Amino acid sequence: MSLKLKIDGRDVGAEQGETILTVAKRNGIEIPTLCNQQELVPFASCFICVVEIAGAPRLVPSCATVVAEGMQISTNSERVRESRRMCVELLLSDHVGDCRGPCQVKCPAGIDIPGFISLLASKNTEDAIRLIKEALPFPASLGRVCPRPCEQQCRRLCSDDAVSICFLKRYIADEDLKRPSPYVPPVGKSTGKKVAIVGAGPAGLSAAFYLRMMGHGVSVFDSHSEPGGMLRYGIPAYRLPRDILAKEIGIIEKMGARIECNKSLGRDFTMASLAKDYDAVFLAIGAQKASEMRVEGEQGGGAISGIEFLEEISKGNDVETGDDVVVVGGGNTAIDAARTAWRLGAANVTILYRRTRDEMPADAMEIEAALHEGVKIRFLAAPVKMAKLADGIELECIEMELGEPDASGRRRPVPKKGSEFKMKASAVIAAIGQGVDPECVGGEESEIKLTKWNTLDVNSETFETSRKGVFAGGDCSTGADIAVTAIAAGRKAATSIDQFLKGLRVTGEAKSYLHLIAEKPADAPEELKARIAETKSERTVMPELTKAARAESFEEVELGFTTEQAAREAERCLSCGCRSFQSCTLRKLSEEYGAKPERFAGEKRHFHVDESNSMIRYESHKCILCGSCIRVCSEVKELDALGFVKRGFVATMKPALDRAWNQSSCDTCLKCVPLCPTGALSLKVTPAEEVLARMERGADASKSIPADRASSYGEVIK
Amino acid sequence: MDFDKNAVDRIIEQRKGAKGAAIPLLQAVQRELRYLPVDAIKQIADGTGIPAAQLYGVATFFTQFRLEPVGEHIIKVCHGTACHVAGARGISEALGDNLKISAEGGTTQDGFYTVEQVACLGCCSLAPVVMIDEDVQGKLTRTKAGKIAEDFRKRSESCQCAADPSEGLKVAKADFGAKAIAKVVVGTGSCGIASGARSVFNLLKAANERFALDFNLAETGCIGMCHREPLVELIARDGSRTLYGGVDATVAKKILVKYFGRETGETGEAGKKGKKGDLERHLIDIRKEESEEHAFFAKQKRIVLENCGEIDPEKIEEYEARGGYSSLRKVLAGMTPDAVIEEIKASGLRGRGGAGFSTGLKWKFTRDAIIASQASQASKASQAYIICNADEGDPGAFMDRSVLESDPHRVLEGMIIAAYAIGADKGYIYCRAEYPLAVKRLNIAIEQARAKGYLGAKILGSAHSLEIQVKEGAGAFVCGEETALIASIEGRRGMPRVRPPFPAQSGLWGKPTNINNVETFANVPWIIKNGAAAFAAMGTERSKGSKVFALAGDVARGGLVEVPMGISLREVIEEIGGGTASGLPVKAVQLGGPSGGCIPASLMDTVVDYEAVNATGAIMGSGGMVVMDTRACMVDIARFFIDFTQKESCGKCTFCRIGTRRMLETLTRITEGEGEKGDIELLEELCMRVKDSSLCGLGQTAPNPVLTTIKYFRDEYEAHINEGRCPAGKCRALITYSISSEKCIGCGACIRVCPVDAITGEKKKLHVIDQAICTRCGACMQICPVDAVEVK
Repeated sequence: MSLKLKIDGRDVGAEQGETILTVAKRNGIEIPTLCNQQELVPFASCFICVVEIAGAPRLVPSCATVVAEGMQISTNSERVRESRRMCVELLLSDHVGDCRGPCQVKCPAGIDIPGFISLLASKNTEDAIRLIKEALPFPASLGRVCPRPCEQQCRRLCSDDAVSICFLKRYIADEDLKRPSPYVPPVGKSTGKKVAIVGAGPAGLSAAFYLRMMGHGVSVFDSHSEPGGMLRYGIPAYRLPRDILAKEIGIIEKMGARIECNKSLGRDFTMASLAKDYDAVFLAIGAQKASEMRVEGEQGGGAISGIEFLEEISKGNDVETGDDVVVVGGGNTAIDAARTAWRLGAANVTILYRRTRDEMPADAMEIEAALHEGVKIRFLAAPVKMAKLADGIELECIEMELGEPDASGRRRPVPKKGSEFKMKASAVIAAIGQGVDPECVGGEESEIKLTKWNTLDVNSETFETSRKGVFAGGDCSTGADIAVTAIAAGRKAATSIDQFLKGLRVTGEAKSYLHLIAEKPADAPEELKARIAETKSERTVMPELTKAARAESFEEVELGFTTEQAAREAERCLSCGCRSFQSCTLRKLSEEYGAKPERFAGEKRHFHVDESNSMIRYESHKCILCGSCIRVCSEVKELDALGFVKRGFVATMKPALDRAWNQSSCDTCLKCVPLCPTGALSLKVTPAEEVLARMERGADASKSIPADRASSYGEVIK
Repeated sequence: MDFDKNAVDRIIEQRKGAKGAAIPLLQAVQRELRYLPVDAIKQIADGTGIPAAQLYGVATFFTQFRLEPVGEHIIKVCHGTACHVAGARGISEALGDNLKISAEGGTTQDGFYTVEQVACLGCCSLAPVVMIDEDVQGKLTRTKAGKIAEDFRKRSESCQCAADPSEGLKVAKADFGAKAIAKVVVGTGSCGIASGARSVFNLLKAANERFALDFNLAETGCIGMCHREPLVELIARDGSRTLYGGVDATVAKKILVKYFGRETGETGEAGKKGKKGDLERHLIDIRKEESEEHAFFAKQKRIVLENCGEIDPEKIEEYEARGGYSSLRKVLAGMTPDAVIEEIKASGLRGRGGAGFSTGLKWKFTRDAIIASQASQASKASQAYIICNADEGDPGAFMDRSVLESDPHRVLEGMIIAAYAIGADKGYIYCRAEYPLAVKRLNIAIEQARAKGYLGAKILGSAHSLEIQVKEGAGAFVCGEETALIASIEGRRGMPRVRPPFPAQSGLWGKPTNINNVETFANVPWIIKNGAAAFAAMGTERSKGSKVFALAGDVARGGLVEVPMGISLREVIEEIGGGTASGLPVKAVQLGGPSGGCIPASLMDTVVDYEAVNATGAIMGSGGMVVMDTRACMVDIARFFIDFTQKESCGKCTFCRIGTRRMLETLTRITEGEGEKGDIELLEELCMRVKDSSLCGLGQTAPNPVLTTIKYFRDEYEAHINEGRCPAGKCRALITYSISSEKCIGCGACIRVCPVDAITGEKKKLHVIDQAICTRCGACMQICPVDAVEVK
């Protein structure tokens, strides 16, 4: 070593002519690069590899800067990191691509939706269920009850109807449950640690599932006589048949989770006793306290709450409702209660909702089904007073009109003066919301803090409560929310608990940076919309029980897709998301530097896909102009099939003469593909191939050139 | 699209195999076909072996190349700094309206015209200007701009045979004895031609022949007084000189009548007394102390420009007569290369291209590298290059063009001396293709120099040989950067690379290469002739000699000026330039073009000195100096420069490619009234990082115009963002025009000129602007004879 220099305060030796990057690497100092390729002449275009040299006026690209005697280099100073962060932000602000499908990004549990659909499309439901269960343990149940936020983001919506994602998930899960031995995930080697979970609802059971996969001992306590929480007691059986739920819970028990029912926190055990007996606690007590309508005469008026009503029916108890049932509220519980009352034989079921249909929080398909069954909905009306009469209940109501938007963004209902009217009802069901009942936790003594909304106060990333070793998640920390959110919380909390039990710093689940082409389907680039419009196809309709068969019955209404229907619907999936997700350096750097590209929102490069080559797919909208492909083709292959076109912001990489790839001199040697630091260049693997490679080998099929192919298409880069 | 494939084959045949042939090939094919069909590019690739991807990359990189067919005639609308300040946008809009195409440009339906916006035509003193084919027209207004396309078309359609320009004139030669005029010199630099010098020249030539007036008609370059072009100088037998400015056909005829005899005249036009048609008004007497022209020249120090306007640039003898090539003789006769380098070092000459690196030192580095490479390659004769950077791309700068057009031999002599000092045997002058006259005169000069033995093998009998060739740049500002310029000569896209290695070690085709700017070379003969000490005696401690500026913008006397280093900006602008043309106060002066910054009026005492100018946040740059009065919006100016740089960014580095675009988008939002809180801070952050993390000078300096305007005019940014107000009354989304009821005389001029019929009013009654229709183009304000239109 003829030269002596300092990198990050360390004395290192170097040879004349070496670059800073080379010397740093040799000494185990990591400097990120995007455009640098070992076998090519340094290009110095991406500027992610900048470092600071003492005394130099500017940062320098370490890939192309040659070392000098006595140089003092900082590779990780604040200035360097800030520059790198902005570098990534600028690149992302001009990057058009989905890291993951918009459906998956929207899903609270982040299920790999395009992944399982592509496996289904290749008739591989076994791997599909494995993939789904990486994200949640209740696909059959959720496949029936989830309000499907994913489908609202389906990219197809920009020119077509959404893919029926949820029913495909249900199909895969049903197929699995039909098998003699459904999929049971492998249980981790026992760690000897014990976790107590309070509440056997979606959040608690989900946490149990993943904690078992990690090898921790799990006991789940629930005050009800059956596990399932709101899935069991809040959702009517015609939507979620009890045997389906039981089978999915059964798998968790098979994995070794102990579920103890009729055990109530505060009554049968306390926080103190749990702390003594267990290594960690997960509170998933839900939000099961019905909110009051706050109308005059409510106490003596004889109203029953929606969840109470549904729970009683679920338990098999009789609830006398009579012929004229009025349900107050606009959420899913209101619809469930109304449809249940209809099934119990009520002739007239009316829902009172104080806003209009547009503001109704209930799932549109559920509203549709209720109306189909004959439930009436009176919009813009709310009760103000109720009184119990001899022959029923008298309800005094008032009409509303919509005023200014409130905090939730919905227009606030305002009573219309003088529009009071009266209604008679045999029963009134109040389904206007639920809250958490934290009393069981034990007040201040428990050391568990509450929020001003009376929910458990948790760290939203790690699910830690204010008490060490105690975690909480699901409705009890968020307030009443949809099941999939609680299930996701259970999984994420399991990761935190695992970190805690291993004595690691509790950081929660690693978050991927997920870039999207557009926030909303409608904002997709025109070129993409046109491509999608070309494959426009009708959404498969779910077969349903006839109205007659539904009456006075709790038979499941939605019958499930046939194999043909599922196959057909799976074909509709566009497989959004990036084939090169695994290997993308840009994405990894985005995570590492906490990039916020929205700061630089502006014009972006054009969406353009070239699939004319037999093996290579080029998506120019993902290109970051590192020039690696151009350079390898010129410097190593001397083919010059590729080149830069135009200059400045609109510069792009294009096959020669801006013609299709297969009209260039490319001989498909594939040298360029693995060099691409993003998904701009990828092998034309199918989505299913990509998923399988990732599941089995943690590999990126879009960039790994199989040895046999590499040899037949050209020598591997020396 | 069909094209003449045989013609393309002929061009390939002529040029194939030559090193760096890509750009000249594309230029030749485009000259032949008027555009570059993709199939022609493929044909070149197939015929030469140059990769198609490389040719296409080059063709789409440089602005000169067109991949689409164009109309019969091309109208270039200059959007340089001076033209921008003077209302280029309005000119583009008026042309667009008139030709029914977009203001951005395009080809007319009948294919007669293609209109383009160009970065700078280098005629800043005549702003705003357009060029129809080769014909430059300056000092346009919206109204005039609408008509020029029509007029040009009428002319080209009506009469193919040119009429005798002297028609209607009758002169009978009289005898004036010693006072008789022996020689008439017309200034035919680009500014002169843009002002009509060519037709004046033609008129004089025709009259000379027709009436046997027997004078020697000559051309000269630019004497600097662009604001008085066209200039005609009369030299009598006794050597006395008389100079006339603003000479058009009428004035020229009067001159002929006055100086050559009497008019016998049936047509009395030339003899008629015009309203103010007195010839006296056009007389320029520099010696008269009270004259404007005296003030213009008094504080100048002309080293580089000493011959400009004095000699015919196409005649080497005239250069020699004023001492030209004597420095070269001196060097070859008795100075070693090291002695030359020492002399230049001692003079303190620094690179005039902008960065200000010591010229002598740069030469020494190259010489050392050449010696080292000769040592390592033992017997092999090693090649080294000298390059003159004449790719003057700053919008608002035309120094190099003027020097090349007016005194090309001076640049050649400087280059030959440098080549001798360094040991280079091959030279290139990399000149903008937009400067056809400069290219033409350079080629003539090279031929003449070779014929006289100043160039070629064994110069003046010495052992030193040098060949120089002109390379036409194809339009890329970034090629001012050394490594990009080299890439371009090599036939590649002008994308810079990391330095070191510096071109001194590894430049053109990997050989040691020295690159200097036009003005730098032009200083060399003077230093050799007068000695380093004489040069170093001028200027400040670290900045020696003189500096040439292209003085333009809102200034009374714009033009090419050369001042001693150390003079204050105030002296340049107020004493030489005569202050603003409008009479309004100076608000700022822009120095250094897109890499420079805006220096506020409060810092006008800053002196011309590399370090002093840098301290303000601007840079000396190559010499563009654009004066702005209080009507200039500084946010708009920042936006203008960033728009330029982001278009000129080669697109290689992330920060420059995307960062400058985001800066443009943010500035555009602010000027459109959609600025948000935090925008200024975001701009500052972006600027800082773009400066910090860019490979070449373009990116490193691109933020300067933004940073200096934020630094000195932050309140103006804040007014746009917080109050939705443009204090200068420039940003259309934030202003309204109204007509003062006190001043309006109801003449109807504004009604006629309004392109959207937004103004109504009866004759002699108050006119009113309908704000809902008004597009805020400002045409009414420009035309109003009584300044009744107000902007808020």
